[in-house]
Amino acid sequence: MDRVRKNPELSRRHFLRAAGGAAVALPLLSSLRAGAAGENFPKRLVLMYTPNGVVPDAWWPENVVSETSWDLNTIHKSLAPFKDRLLFLKGVDLAVTNDGPGGLHQKGIGGLFTGQQLQSGDLFVDGCGQRAGWANGISIDQEIAKTLAVGTPIKSLELGVRATENDVQGRIAYAGPGAPLPPMNDPSEVFQRLFSGFGQNTDQLAELRARRRSVLDTVQAQFRSVSARVSSSDQQKLEAHLTLVRDLESRMATGSNGSTSCVAPAVPAALDANSEDDMPTIAGLHLDMLATAFACDLTRIASFQISTSLNHIRYPWLNSMGEGHALSHMGPSDADAFQELVSRQTWHSQMLTNFLTRLSQIPEGSGTVLDNTLVLWGNEVSEGNTHSHQSIPFLMAGGGWYFRTGRSLQYSNTSHNDLLVSVLNAMGTPATTFGQADLCDGPLSGLV
Amino acid sequence: MRIALRLLGPACVLSLAVACSSAAPTPPPASGAPPDAPPADGLVCQANQHPAAPISLLTRAQYDATIADLLGDNSQPSSSFPAENEVSGFNNNTEVHIANPLLVEQFMNAAEGIAGRAVAANLSTLAPCAGTSNAERASCGSSFVASFGKRAFRRPLTTDEAQSFNTLFSGLNSTRGYSAAVELTMQALLQSPQFLYRLDSERAPTVESGAVPLDSYQIASRMSYFLTGSMPDSVLFGAADAGALSSTAEIETQARRLLETSRAKAMVRDFNQQWLQLDQLSGLARNPPQGMADVKGIGADYRESLQQFLDQVFWEHGDLPSLFSSPQTFVNARLGAVLGLEAPASGFAAVSAAPGRVGLLSQPGLMAMLAHSDQSGPVQRGVFVLQRLLCIDVPPPPPGLNPVPPDPDPNLTTRERFAVHTASSSCSGCHKLIDGAGFGFENYDQLGRYRTEENGLPVDASGEMMATGEPAVNGPYTGVLELSNRLAQSPRVERCLATNWYRYAMGRVETEADGCSLREVEQKFTASGGQFKELLVAVTLSEAFRYRPAIPGDM
Repeated sequence: MDRVRKNPELSRRHFLRAAGGAAVALPLLSSLRAGAAGENFPKRLVLMYTPNGVVPDAWWPENVVSETSWDLNTIHKSLAPFKDRLLFLKGVDLAVTNDGPGGLHQKGIGGLFTGQQLQSGDLFVDGCGQRAGWANGISIDQEIAKTLAVGTPIKSLELGVRATENDVQGRIAYAGPGAPLPPMNDPSEVFQRLFSGFGQNTDQLAELRARRRSVLDTVQAQFRSVSARVSSSDQQKLEAHLTLVRDLESRMATGSNGSTSCVAPAVPAALDANSEDDMPTIAGLHLDMLATAFACDLTRIASFQISTSLNHIRYPWLNSMGEGHALSHMGPSDADAFQELVSRQTWHSQMLTNFLTRLSQIPEGSGTVLDNTLVLWGNEVSEGNTHSHQSIPFLMAGGGWYFRTGRSLQYSNTSHNDLLVSVLNAMGTPATTFGQADLCDGPLSGLV
Repeated sequence: MRIALRLLGPACVLSLAVACSSAAPTPPPASGAPPDAPPADGLVCQANQHPAAPISLLTRAQYDATIADLLGDNSQPSSSFPAENEVSGFNNNTEVHIANPLLVEQFMNAAEGIAGRAVAANLSTLAPCAGTSNAERASCGSSFVASFGKRAFRRPLTTDEAQSFNTLFSGLNSTRGYSAAVELTMQALLQSPQFLYRLDSERAPTVESGAVPLDSYQIASRMSYFLTGSMPDSVLFGAADAGALSSTAEIETQARRLLETSRAKAMVRDFNQQWLQLDQLSGLARNPPQGMADVKGIGADYRESLQQFLDQVFWEHGDLPSLFSSPQTFVNARLGAVLGLEAPASGFAAVSAAPGRVGLLSQPGLMAMLAHSDQSGPVQRGVFVLQRLLCIDVPPPPPGLNPVPPDPDPNLTTRERFAVHTASSSCSGCHKLIDGAGFGFENYDQLGRYRTEENGLPVDASGEMMATGEPAVNGPYTGVLELSNRLAQSPRVERCLATNWYRYAMGRVETEADGCSLREVEQKFTASGGQFKELLVAVTLSEAFRYRPAIPGDM
């Protein structure tokens, strides 16, 4: 027992569990690249999404004297250790939602990371009878992945906590127009995907790759031959599928699974991805495994969404029994609802804190993985009761290699497409516009 | 539409109501036909005008059933696949159920697992081989490719395809041995588009005046995936081999036969699950009233109860009117305790004619699903009746509307709270339509329990149906029994169900080019007195099911 008590990992694990419900057995870990002196460490991006707006008065910084002199508000108290790594961006609007088809939640979530309107069509009908298709463009994570994710075994990791709405209201990441990426809601599946290759030796891995290559070469030949025999619209579907097979084969060949500097976490217990009670555990597991995946350079791009827009879920571990979307519509005079909303949003912020904490504990060069990670957190509306798309609660964490952090900035009716451009630039993708080009003035001013 | 059912909260509906102003809305026509006119109106049927037959990617359920039939592997390998995108509740929609990176990666992992298990357990049956030389074994490999490949692709391999897989096999056989060659060749077959997709639009050699009849193998796959959710069985395969499925008589014979198989039972449950959007019962969260034990996990019990009711309606009663009149409720011990009904110690049993229980609309599972965590859901229930049963879509508000609703008054009863919608002149238009359809369900609380009082006051279960285009349905009504009686006789309900089955069968929402086929299906359904099996057989006999338009390259 002495040994256990002395183990700093264990006590930290206990801390995390107490703080946010994370129950994964965290391995001792240093970045895969930690030993490589003078190396340029890979940059990582996480898009974080929480739905149905926030309580602005408890969310935005208070006692703001200047952009560097302000206090974290109620919801974000847990982020205090990372205050100098944050950027609050007030007054940035989802201008892209001003036009185009779809309901307010649909347009918001579709445009949040794509900067695009929704496609017209009758595919999806929202609660108010509005109709629309998918978002009409690629999301920034996938745009950045084109260059940043070259050579990683997994191009990007989409993680969801009860993100089980399988239409436009439930998707934040897009590989292209009308091509949403489904999130993984089950931590045991995430574990399998990330870590099942661990423990094999180099020869075994080489043999596995050789076998897969011969199989996938034949598979690709079949796709090419069938594509030539179907209608043009079906051809597009098969060619898209073929591209994914090709991408799979190329990533497999460059994998870094099994490196001695990476240790897989313990296999997570079976959980019910539809259970409200398992949400905190699932969120904790997802983020811990993501941190490990970054450290092991299994992937550099991720998105993390807690449920979906217009959800109706309860947060029983917070004793918050209102239904998500309906709760967000309770007016300001409803003190109980206000308290429930604040406690949920405080928990969301705690998830971010836990993740940043984990990243900050993984050494990389002379710093930590957090030094090379940027998190962009957004929402599809600013306030549930108004459905407003003005001054969306945008918070960035990390990205210190590019942004001047530790600030709370005030903008005025600025299109969030500019923010997306800034994120692209921070991640090394040169661009002056992203999404709907006429909504872009270049990168957001004052960030660098 | 699924969202509308699930999430239409009071405030969101307010915005709808504001938009609708005070005029009673005219709903858009149900798909294919205006509500107040016979479906033939305005529909000109032209010979050889057929809707497109897009390729369709197997769903998770179809994948698992296919692997089970192909290899006897019941491990449900698709459990690691991401959920399909959905349109109107259906997850087999060819427009949105398309490949994505995670799915393609999991196809690879699944194929590796399946092939590994198959070869470990059954190599000698799958690919028997007495020979020992490379040439002999390559020949055994060709037999394996031809026989297993045909079942996996649901049609014989073309010469080129056989050659491609034979080349793969013999190369692997020389370098890695026979067993590995079988295993890896199987992996390749299971990741090929001919397995993962139904290729209804593959070019065919014959053209009939611009319309192309699907070949017997394509028809066989269409039939088997529609009626059994899996690959063709050996009898259907035999009919395809004989080219017999160009005959409508043979199609009808096979369809009736398939409907008697056990896979058809699973298919009907799959349809009901999607049509009624029963996935909402997963993780159902309901606040138990004071004194009642926790109800966590009870959604699965409600779903089974509802599915058993629907099984009985489909397989024993067999017709649409019974959907609204069957007096059975299926309960297990847990539901019995919640609902106050007698139940067996283990498993489910039917309770007949319990108070307030008649037909689908009174089913505890449906009522619990269409509710809020702490109160009934007049709006969800109204939208359910309009959209799911009558195919009336709620009209959208004008663009740019962003209303700020007033604070709700917590001191009102459920009905009074919701009545705010209809009392306000600006809200009343749409909410007369929605709440009018939904208020008649007030006898059922958020757990689907039958009640005649709420908070010590008598329940007011009066509602009003409007805008259905059917005088026999429109008008004030009280309670679910009266509403059920009207809907049981409604041609519009009949057409709406036919449309939903058609969408499920075709894997897409109908287009103008489906009009004539859909009308024919509806007419046969009506003529049969609403017999479900006749409806399904009629779909397989429709021209849209058997033909596709010519595409460039057809010759």
